Amino acid sequence: MSKAATSFKLKNALTELDSLFQHIEQFGRSVELPKKQIFQINLALDELFTNIVSYGYTDSNSHWIVFRLSLVNDAVIIRIEDNGVPFDPVAAPTSGSAAPLENCKIGGLGLHIVKKMMDEIAYERRGDKNIITIKKQVRP
Amino acid sequence: MEIIESKQNEVNIFTLHGRLDSNTSPELEKKLAGAMQSGARNMVLDFENLDYISSAGLRIILKTTKDLKRTEGALILCAMQDYVKEVFEIAGFDSFLPIVPTVDEALSKL
Repeated sequence: MSKAATSFKLKNALTELDSLFQHIEQFGRSVELPKKQIFQINLALDELFTNIVSYGYTDSNSHWIVFRLSLVNDAVIIRIEDNGVPFDPVAAPTSGSAAPLENCKIGGLGLHIVKKMMDEIAYERRGDKNIITIKKQVRP
Repeated sequence: MEIIESKQNEVNIFTLHGRLDSNTSPELEKKLAGAMQSGARNMVLDFENLDYISSAGLRIILKTTKDLKRTEGALILCAMQDYVKEVFEIAGFDSFLPIVPTVDEALSKL
């Protein structure tokens, strides 16, 4: 049984995406994840982070979004915490198929990708916080 | 992200380097819209050096495809890395977007 964990916080700005990537890559390397899984975790967290930054806040203040990643046995468990408006990504509709092109609805595409790339996703509202928990199986 | 623009036989080729996400996609959107305004009809996006794409990048590509279709033009994507291609497949975009292995093959289709 192996166990490793890291946590970090980012400001609610899209320019923080590079920092998000660096944190995930560092964690992924430290627990020896394949590049493909690092990519997939990065993509899922990018989509959720981008949603929070784009739609989560009604003021123009700076806010922290807190990430915690841990490897427990053969799964990466990720927790994302923000104090934005309540938003449940599990219940939100996703756009399953993009075709046909003419009537493709683009909204929900990011969440569709998250759900496809991760194995489990859960949401809870606790006080003034949104808490998303994700599980990604990384080893057979 | 770095975008290099070139032109060959009336086809606009955009070579992308780096990461295409919600932070960098407005830059690509601007470049593609600018080319269309200058009359570009057929475009190729070279993904050989693109390391990453998120749904924000997919949105720009979908929008550009729709806009070019209106003017009877076309957009072809080429030289995608496996991880990037998987994102297109998960989104279902591979069913209507032409994705080919090389720039030459893309050019031969336009």
